[in-house]
Amino acid sequence: MKAIEIFKELGIEYEEMKVKGNSTPRYRAKVEPDKLEEIIKKFKTQGFKHFVALSCVDWIKEGNMELIYHLFSYDTLEDVFLSIYLPRDEPKYKTLRHLFPQIETYEREVHEMFGVEFEGNDRLGEFILEDWNDMPPMRKDFDTVKYVKEKYESVPLVEGRGDKQ
Amino acid sequence: MKEFEIFVGPQHVGATGNMMYHVWVDGDTVVKAETHVGYLHRAFEKLMERRSWLMNVALIPRICVPEPDVNEASYAMAVESLMNWDIPERAKYIRSIVLELARLSGHLLAISGYAGAIGLYTVPQWLIGDRDYLLDLFEQLTGGRVYHIFIFPGGVRWDLPDGFLRKLGKVLDYLESRLKLYDDLLFQNKVFFERAPDVGVIPKDKAIEWGVTGPNLRACGYAYDVRRVDPYAAYPDLDFEIPHYPKFGEFEVLGHGCDCYSRMVVRRLEIEQSIRILRQIIKKIPDGPHTLKLPNPIAWKVPAGYAYARVESSKGEFGYLVISDGGKVPYRVHVRGPSYTHGINVMEKIAPGLNIADFAPTAFSLDVCPPDIER
Repeated sequence: MKAIEIFKELGIEYEEMKVKGNSTPRYRAKVEPDKLEEIIKKFKTQGFKHFVALSCVDWIKEGNMELIYHLFSYDTLEDVFLSIYLPRDEPKYKTLRHLFPQIETYEREVHEMFGVEFEGNDRLGEFILEDWNDMPPMRKDFDTVKYVKEKYESVPLVEGRGDKQ
Repeated sequence: MKEFEIFVGPQHVGATGNMMYHVWVDGDTVVKAETHVGYLHRAFEKLMERRSWLMNVALIPRICVPEPDVNEASYAMAVESLMNWDIPERAKYIRSIVLELARLSGHLLAISGYAGAIGLYTVPQWLIGDRDYLLDLFEQLTGGRVYHIFIFPGGVRWDLPDGFLRKLGKVLDYLESRLKLYDDLLFQNKVFFERAPDVGVIPKDKAIEWGVTGPNLRACGYAYDVRRVDPYAAYPDLDFEIPHYPKFGEFEVLGHGCDCYSRMVVRRLEIEQSIRILRQIIKKIPDGPHTLKLPNPIAWKVPAGYAYARVESSKGEFGYLVISDGGKVPYRVHVRGPSYTHGINVMEKIAPGLNIADFAPTAFSLDVCPPDIER
């Protein structure tokens, strides 16, 4: 089943993304967080069996966190990007790892880098970062320069090398 | 029997780079494995939000060291989508040359790693030596051997140097003549026949659902290749086959697919296909400009929007989701690397039940490249 037909059946508004270079059509839609699971299930049964990625975008001005669930169908050769928006100050969602197992890994990363909580995922511990004690670093308000100055300028220089610095 | 914990990596002959597998074994059998990454994290995605659209081209090749060009190509295609640019035909062909050379180089490294893991150490020495001829070509074309920074939005940096295609033809002839030797060393070797079939099996019905792509998916019997399902560059004009289980041509079909044997034979057959593609390009490459006329690179503004571009790397689907808010820098870039699923999710699922001696070969047969997990 074509993506457009599924969108029409579910009554979801969609837009087509611009494509140059590649050739298959890509559709983007904004959906309600509480309906997302059902929508992904519907797409999965209609041939969208390749879960490409879960991306997170921090829209700091709008006060939103956008989660983009990206699916691809090897049958109809179409890409679908399903976006949900969560409040930025307390982003919380449920895990969808039972639909596609690799979502677990993406959720671990989004949790660590953006601070989004995924209820039901028990592996949201340390993943890429080690001993991190600041705000999630991929958030737009994380000041990298300030962090480096605070963290590393207090580290004493190696003895004997102070004059040369 | 008592359970033991073993750490494979980050500095270990059986790890495919700077990553670690935390393995629990009962006797010789793996009970559980967990992947630990983070040794290569440099926050590329964050850095990209601070650099101009063009500066990023110099940054992103570092996301995959053995095959850097796929990053440049997919990023460039995503930016072109947002800019609504159609690049010249010649640029598409030159991009295909670079991407196929990168694929050859990636496959030679993958086969080297696998052969080393099953104890056939001559293979890596010969293949790494042969790969140097490909790096010579890269040096002549781009100025760099490892990182090329050659494909950028709008086309490629410069045209092919004089005599490049002749030299390319010679290297392809040489590489083709060496394939027989690779077969004698590895692909027709009894050690390979004994140790590869039905080892590290991904369940065929789960392969797509688990996010397996590239040669690993084709080894499961699906003839899916981004060059065909979502064509880019000059691939729509080129004729090539997609090697997949059980269509192995002159190679015997051992095992039941989805195993180390199929994954490595698919890679070996793809070398032949890459040579075939490159020979077609040498004959068909059109004349014309190699790039569009570009605006002032410092004042580039990319229209707001979302764009996703994907290419087929030697490891699987490599994609860039680029989001612009209309500014001079990207608002957000998300890199979808094939190793993200292969190295963590798939490896953790197929490891239980493996003999500990088969753990490293299985990891190598998935061809995991840790930098694209962490970015």
